[in-house]
Amino acid sequence: MQDFLINWLANVPGTAAPYAFAALGLIISERSGVLNLTAEGLMLVGAVAGVGTCLTIGNHPLVALVVAMLAASIVSLLFASLVVILRVNQVIAGLSVVFFCQGLTGLIGTLANWQNHPIAGLNKIAIWPLSDIPVIGRILFVQDPIVYLAIPIFFAVSIFLRGSMLGLKLRAVGENPAAADAAGLSVSLYRIGAIVVGSSLLGLAGGYISVVSVKLWITGMVGGRGWIAVALVVFARWAPWPALAGALLFGCIEGVVPRIAAAGIRAPQYLVLMTPYLATLAVMIWVGARNRGHQGEPGALGQPHVREERR
Amino acid sequence: MRPEWKTRYWTTLIAAGAVVSCGAVAYAAGFTLPAAPKIAFLYFDQKNDGGWTQAFDEARPKIETAVGMKIPFVEKVPEVAGQIKPAAEQFIQRGYNVIIGTAFGYSDAFKELSEKYPQVAFLNASGTTNGPNLESFYGRTYESQYLCGMIAGGMSKTGKLGFVAAHPIGPVNWTINAYELGAQKINPKATVTVIFTGAWNDPVKERAAAEAMADQGIDVIGQHVDTPTPQIVAQERGIYGTGHHRDLREFAPKATLCSSVWTWDKFLSPELKKVAAGNWQPNPYGAFPGIKEGGTDIACCGTAVPKDLADKVMAERDAIIAGKQIFTGPMKDTTGKEVLAEGKPIDDGGLWKMDWYIPGVIAQK
Repeated sequence: MQDFLINWLANVPGTAAPYAFAALGLIISERSGVLNLTAEGLMLVGAVAGVGTCLTIGNHPLVALVVAMLAASIVSLLFASLVVILRVNQVIAGLSVVFFCQGLTGLIGTLANWQNHPIAGLNKIAIWPLSDIPVIGRILFVQDPIVYLAIPIFFAVSIFLRGSMLGLKLRAVGENPAAADAAGLSVSLYRIGAIVVGSSLLGLAGGYISVVSVKLWITGMVGGRGWIAVALVVFARWAPWPALAGALLFGCIEGVVPRIAAAGIRAPQYLVLMTPYLATLAVMIWVGARNRGHQGEPGALGQPHVREERR
Repeated sequence: MRPEWKTRYWTTLIAAGAVVSCGAVAYAAGFTLPAAPKIAFLYFDQKNDGGWTQAFDEARPKIETAVGMKIPFVEKVPEVAGQIKPAAEQFIQRGYNVIIGTAFGYSDAFKELSEKYPQVAFLNASGTTNGPNLESFYGRTYESQYLCGMIAGGMSKTGKLGFVAAHPIGPVNWTINAYELGAQKINPKATVTVIFTGAWNDPVKERAAAEAMADQGIDVIGQHVDTPTPQIVAQERGIYGTGHHRDLREFAPKATLCSSVWTWDKFLSPELKKVAAGNWQPNPYGAFPGIKEGGTDIACCGTAVPKDLADKVMAERDAIIAGKQIFTGPMKDTTGKEVLAEGKPIDDGGLWKMDWYIPGVIAQK
């Protein structure tokens, strides 16, 4: 039983990391008032770019992850120009970017012949001597470097959003773009910036799945995890730390599903496979029930800003 | 009624009768193409998907040589009628008259197409529909997975085998049961723990499953999913694995002991020659080739497999070709209920609806 728990919990950070990065990226973008549904697509872009980099220049996983972030940021410019400059409906623009990316990444993977070529990727490192502590050593101190990197990233984004002048302005743009505009802030520039920076984290999430976790590119491999990240943002009420907690919750659930079966516990498999989505639903219901009104939701979420337009 | 109308009336009636009777005769006598054969493939996924579709694409050049013509293909035709029909009709309008599909989900669309185009021959892998000019086909993968199970049972030190599978449906369940039967042939105490990922193509879940297995002391991992991920994990963890669809030694040369592979050229080349020769008689229940007829086989063996084990497996392979049945009674399921009576082999219907596991299989349902 103890082995079961340790093996399970030791795998949770790796399972949770893509959810955490993706949710954080979406939070940055949505705090500026742009409803961002592109996660699934941009994670695929990051995933294919990461593996492609490793296959092209040799196994440099950190370079690959940076390329994954850049690639997702570049593709996100398409979404940014659609919703900020052309002021297209943000839901429709987000969905079409997802479908576009699904096709694009499949095409690139085929043309470049990156599909099904395993890479060495990034392995776990043990932080000695902390890794020798019984029980928690294996869980907390034998992880890959990106998992450790998540902590400073979360601190940085959290401080940026709550404590910095730039973060305050970004939130002002998301709460009341007309007022922010009147105060002399460029709403378009802030929103484009938020989308591009947030999308780099979506790329990191996708790159993490392909380079660190699976070490392989397969068309459509993100497998709906981007949508779970979208739900996580609502669950976390657009705040970084609750998003991390939610990601860990999903990491726990996704990690325990195969382990129940491997331990020989006979549970109905369709019930077990549905638990992550059941948890998503439960979380939404819980948020909906306790969160009357719109606490936490950026005031102008999903609304394109047109100067001097009456609402 | 004017006389010329009368004549026309009778002519029409006679012509209609002639068409009907010709149709009946044609069905009884088999299907003959009206022109020289032109063959085309509809691929379910990308040609280099590493598994199911790639096995067809690797068989294609061999079939081309056998039938002496180029065979074009179209990739990523999803299991949606609205996309299957245009893809097939584009070929038909360009004069192609033998259309080969590669997915279960094409079954209904192919049935409709075969009725709409009675002059075109249709074949569909893992389909369920058949007709006078339509034949579904699938391989008896339990034969090759039984042989892989023998190797897994022989190579496992702990006697605990794992199996990463997609969905608990008949064709997957028979590979699981056959794997356990093969393992028991070498090690009567061997068990197979099954994890269903709920997807053919989710490497994240496959990795999580394989790692959970390795953590539980499982030391050989078989699979019936489309990516080589379980083999890659086995290699990372220093344990063994057995592959499916194609020879997966390419991905995990140290870990992969053997693979259950598709040998579609061995089935399709003679079948297409029959179509070309005329008087083709599609099997009304679908073609279901085993190792003997081509379709499925074992790619054996990795360097780690000792020669005496490989010899045993090859002897069983010969026995299967000679007619040995894998599923034959008496056979009980995990609850102790008798599923096959003494001395009675399973029929094809029983295979397709197999929803039970033999003792030794540890699986969720």
